[in-house]
Amino acid sequence: MQRLIRLSIVLLSVIFLVSSVYAQDDLTDERILLTFIPNVQFAPFYVGVDDGYFAETGFNIALEHLQEPEVVDLVAAGQANYGIVSGEQVILARSQGRDVVYVYEWFQQYPVGIAVPASDNMTTMADLVGKKVGIPGRFGASYSGLTTLLESAELSESDIQLEEIGYNAPEVFCLGAVDAAIVYVNNEPLQIHNRALAGECGDIEDVEIITVASQADLVSNGLIISADFLAENPDTVQAMVTGLDLALQSTINNPARAYLTSMNYVENLPDDEAFITMLNTLAEEQDIFLASEPTRDEITVSRWAMRDTLAETFDPDMITQFEVLLTTIDLWDADTLGYSELSSWETMRDTLLSMGMLDDADDDLTMAFTNQFVGDDS
Amino acid sequence: MQVTRYKTKHNSSSNKLIKYLQRLLPILTFLVLLMVWYWVTAMEFYPAFIVPPPTAVYETFSEAITSGMLIEHIETTLEEMLFGLLFGVTIGLMLGYAIAKFPLLEQILSPIIVAFQSTPIVAYAPLLIIWFGSGTTSKIVTTAVIVFFPTLINTIVGVRSVSPQLRDLMRSLNATTWQMFTHLEIPSALPMVLAGLKTSSTLAVIGAVVGEFVSSGSGLGYLVTLARNQYDTPLVIVAVLTMTAIALTLYSFVAFLEWRLLAWQRRSRH
Repeated sequence: MQRLIRLSIVLLSVIFLVSSVYAQDDLTDERILLTFIPNVQFAPFYVGVDDGYFAETGFNIALEHLQEPEVVDLVAAGQANYGIVSGEQVILARSQGRDVVYVYEWFQQYPVGIAVPASDNMTTMADLVGKKVGIPGRFGASYSGLTTLLESAELSESDIQLEEIGYNAPEVFCLGAVDAAIVYVNNEPLQIHNRALAGECGDIEDVEIITVASQADLVSNGLIISADFLAENPDTVQAMVTGLDLALQSTINNPARAYLTSMNYVENLPDDEAFITMLNTLAEEQDIFLASEPTRDEITVSRWAMRDTLAETFDPDMITQFEVLLTTIDLWDADTLGYSELSSWETMRDTLLSMGMLDDADDDLTMAFTNQFVGDDS
Repeated sequence: MQVTRYKTKHNSSSNKLIKYLQRLLPILTFLVLLMVWYWVTAMEFYPAFIVPPPTAVYETFSEAITSGMLIEHIETTLEEMLFGLLFGVTIGLMLGYAIAKFPLLEQILSPIIVAFQSTPIVAYAPLLIIWFGSGTTSKIVTTAVIVFFPTLINTIVGVRSVSPQLRDLMRSLNATTWQMFTHLEIPSALPMVLAGLKTSSTLAVIGAVVGEFVSSGSGLGYLVTLARNQYDTPLVIVAVLTMTAIALTLYSFVAFLEWRLLAWQRRSRH
């Protein structure tokens, strides 16, 4: 009898091992090309990998970081199947013969704005006339955002003094070398704010933002694939979008857990033991809260309540990256995740035309994106 | 005798033909590469946006020249390169001479210089932008930093390569320090210094362009970034080829300078 029990245990173990290997073989190896560098802003992808959302939909995902043009070219050339880029990259790329399609809008709000010193009473674009404005370069989402803001106030680039400062906005802004700076609203303003609090930002006591999103709806960061891949593998694309959607929703609902997951991917995130313990507690409490099926607004309030709880115990430096995550989540959140409006694409195209980056408006924008995989259309 | 004269005439014609063909070789190589490039694009091994055909690059080049855009960016990069070369080479020459003459100075400065030069310029270029601003000053500093080291090392080696016997001879003839410097040290060190200058001239392009990649509103490095973000691969290639042409021109100029200034060396060998 004992021999029979031992044999059963061995057999069950073998079956379990074999099925695990077989299950792993069921997963398709895929890369998702991201931009920038590993950062809490990519939390949904870390959550998607570590919490199994991509595996649930059949993917074994590897994440890579490249510059936006490289992401587009690799996807367009069929050397990678999935990439994350901003919407204006899709329009520009398609105008230059790269047949990519945007299938999921990740950022529902455009993340660019202009940072101004709070004490300078510059609250509108008109207040920036004649001022020196720093920008990473005359390209990308920053330049598109600036152009939109200028046009919304019936101004042009000649009304301001535009200066290329690279990706050094916090330093250059605090040195007083520029009067205002184009920033990503979910990141640099928080850094500037904390420097100002610490007295490390010259005469600047705090920062305010004039956001692009408050003036216009521009299509922002999202998932792209090549048109060929879409035509040949719609079910696979649906599976990827579903996985990303689930991961994004999970991140939005429980940023404490998402932040903890991000620590496996992002170096130099604060790893103070007490901080991690409190994050774990907040994550568990949030899970209980979510079980009560709160509304979207209630979840928003609960997210920021986490920040307040952390701020009672920890220094601003410790919680900055968590605040970056919370601010970024506000840019992602929407009633229907992933959905993009034709009007936002048209506004972006018009912006690119006025910037002189597009020669004509010939490309049919309805071919540049699709909502077939999201919401009720999926 | 007639056979000898015939052979001499024949050898002279063959030598001329060989020399003529040798001069044509770089052009022939370029033409072969151009044909390979055209063939690769004609066979469509890669999409046109990855490897555009030579004709597309030429059209883009023509547009960039006639619109004045390319000239504007060339002027910016040239300004940064030339001023950077001027400062970097001058400081390299002066410090190199001082270190060659005063070994104690080498012991004090070497660790700092080597550590500084071992750090890739791309790592601290953003710092230079913050310290010196996003205008041409930071790019001139970047260029000066990158051209400094080869000049310094070659100057040290050149000055130290002065023959001790010649130095003794000059002393025995009661030569002044200035005479030793102008009639002995400079001619002796010149081959090494010019070799260092050839290296520095090609590095100057790198220095200017790296600075422009980090932060700039003009210049060939900026043009590459701009073209890349506009998905204009032909324009990227135009900018890169222009950088190459500038580097080759500068190198050729220094090589010509070397040929003229070291003519005495060739004569003394013959």
